[in-house]
Amino acid sequence: MTDTRATILVVEDEPEIRRFLRSALGAEGYKVVETGTVKRGVIDAASHKPDLAIVDLGLPDGEGLELIRKVRAWSPMPLIVLSARAGEAGKIAALDAGANDYVIKPFGIGELLARVRSALRSVVRPAGGGHVLKLGGTTIDLDARTATRDGAPLHLTPIEYRLLTSLARNTGTVITQGQLLREVWGPAHESDTHYLRIYAKQLRDKLEPDPLQPRYLITETGVGYRLVCD
Amino acid sequence: MPEHAQNTPLLRNWRGYLAALLAAVACTLTGYAMQPRFDLVNIAMVYLLPVVGIALLSSRGAAVFSAASSVILFDVLFVPPAGVLNIEDMQYLLTFAVMLLVGLAISSLRERARREESGRISHAIAAERERMRSTLLASISHDLRTPLSVMIGASTSLAEHGEQLPAAERRALALSVSRQAQAIAEQTEKVLQMTRFELGDLALQCDWNSIAEIAGPVLLRLREALAQHRLLVDIPGNLPLLRVDAPLIAQVIGNLLENAARHTPPGTVIQLKARMLEQAVEVAVEDNGPGLPDAVLERLFDRFREQRIGNTSGGVGLGLAICRTIVKLHGGGIHAMQRAGGGTRFAFTLPAEAAPQLPEENESTRP
Repeated sequence: MTDTRATILVVEDEPEIRRFLRSALGAEGYKVVETGTVKRGVIDAASHKPDLAIVDLGLPDGEGLELIRKVRAWSPMPLIVLSARAGEAGKIAALDAGANDYVIKPFGIGELLARVRSALRSVVRPAGGGHVLKLGGTTIDLDARTATRDGAPLHLTPIEYRLLTSLARNTGTVITQGQLLREVWGPAHESDTHYLRIYAKQLRDKLEPDPLQPRYLITETGVGYRLVCD
Repeated sequence: MPEHAQNTPLLRNWRGYLAALLAAVACTLTGYAMQPRFDLVNIAMVYLLPVVGIALLSSRGAAVFSAASSVILFDVLFVPPAGVLNIEDMQYLLTFAVMLLVGLAISSLRERARREESGRISHAIAAERERMRSTLLASISHDLRTPLSVMIGASTSLAEHGEQLPAAERRALALSVSRQAQAIAEQTEKVLQMTRFELGDLALQCDWNSIAEIAGPVLLRLREALAQHRLLVDIPGNLPLLRVDAPLIAQVIGNLLENAARHTPPGTVIQLKARMLEQAVEVAVEDNGPGLPDAVLERLFDRFREQRIGNTSGGVGLGLAICRTIVKLHGGGIHAMQRAGGGTRFAFTLPAEAAPQLPEENESTRP
């Protein structure tokens, strides 16, 4: 039988961190490829064609951001960033460079594995591709711009559709608020975060069973939003 | 600092010299009034007064200047022949020497008193710092040593006797290592953050946010910590947006909720409430636990409070100090009080500005 397990590339220079990543990812049934530098990481990403990469931001020969930009230039593979820095600016920089998600050190392995599973599930959709979103009892046809909730028609405004379309292009992935504002309202409104807050609330009121503790439209405080499908 | 203000001379810098000159002029006028009836020696004594006064109230330089200007005025205007500076008469050189000596003597006495005073104050400041440092060290060493002992003990048991132990036992040991490590990680983060605050190394990243949206992920993150309690959330949907640093406000809400969970018995109710006040939004975390005496409530937000509340591992008490710093940076206030029905209420306010305009979308949000 050929090896059908997902391959995960780990780019991390700390041997002790690599050790527990290797054992936990291996125990989950993933095939692990390890490397410790930006240079080797770029090469291994091309030669091993992993299904996902976990990238430490501080590597001995450069910034993990550099690796993310290089890999993102040719591959849509999910990239999860490990960062010791808790600052929101660092997370935003990594996401804008093309990372799909981030985990802050120190982290529990449960948290990392959940992100890995979610990232492997996430589907990258072409910008104009026709598709239908299913969020619990709500079905949204992003092309036809029709929606139903529990069988009854649900009205969404054009901006609400645009916002959902931007989020749905890469479900499970954190989209930064700057990116959403640029895509939905235009580059002039990049810092008008109140637009986002108001429309996020409207969407939650329409889509979420409990808008205060949302299941589908998740806020990454200070960073952006992610859309989670069942 | 106010301690220094009362310690600096009353007449600083040029003010001392100006006062010396004015006083000498006043003495001259007095001298003219006295001249018909008094000896020159007595008039000289009048000139001594400003020298004493300036030496007491101002700097050494001003005292010397006072003595010199007094002598020159006296000499020129009163010592015959009037109108000329008579420096040959040894008598009056002596007058000058005495005035100068008096001025310098008083000046140096005052200087010494001042040094002793400021030494006493800086000693008091150093003592306070030292007290704080040792409190911090004591708390940190307690907060680190206990979990480290557990971690070393549990992990060496696992490494050395893992095979002999039943699986459940192994798991329990590993979990206790991870719990204690988590505690240290949180504590380290708090100390680092407080240090950053104190260095002024943390600029707020404010943008428009809603309290409900900030609270959501916090409740998700603390699901486990709050699982033993009954949580009631009341955040009205019509609260205005606030210009705040969302991650920091999330931290305040999280710290207050964690505190409530940690210091009240399982099964009790914890409430997270928000409401609109006149110019601010108030967010409150209320519990119906045993409550805290007023004396403790007052000191809760102090940086490294010494007394531990009950027997719980409340950490260095940095959590609430961090909350207070964050809220203050936002121009709000935070306080703790006894709840009418028992328990404690922690509440903070955040100033509400005029809500920004939203461009109109032609369609209404409802069909």
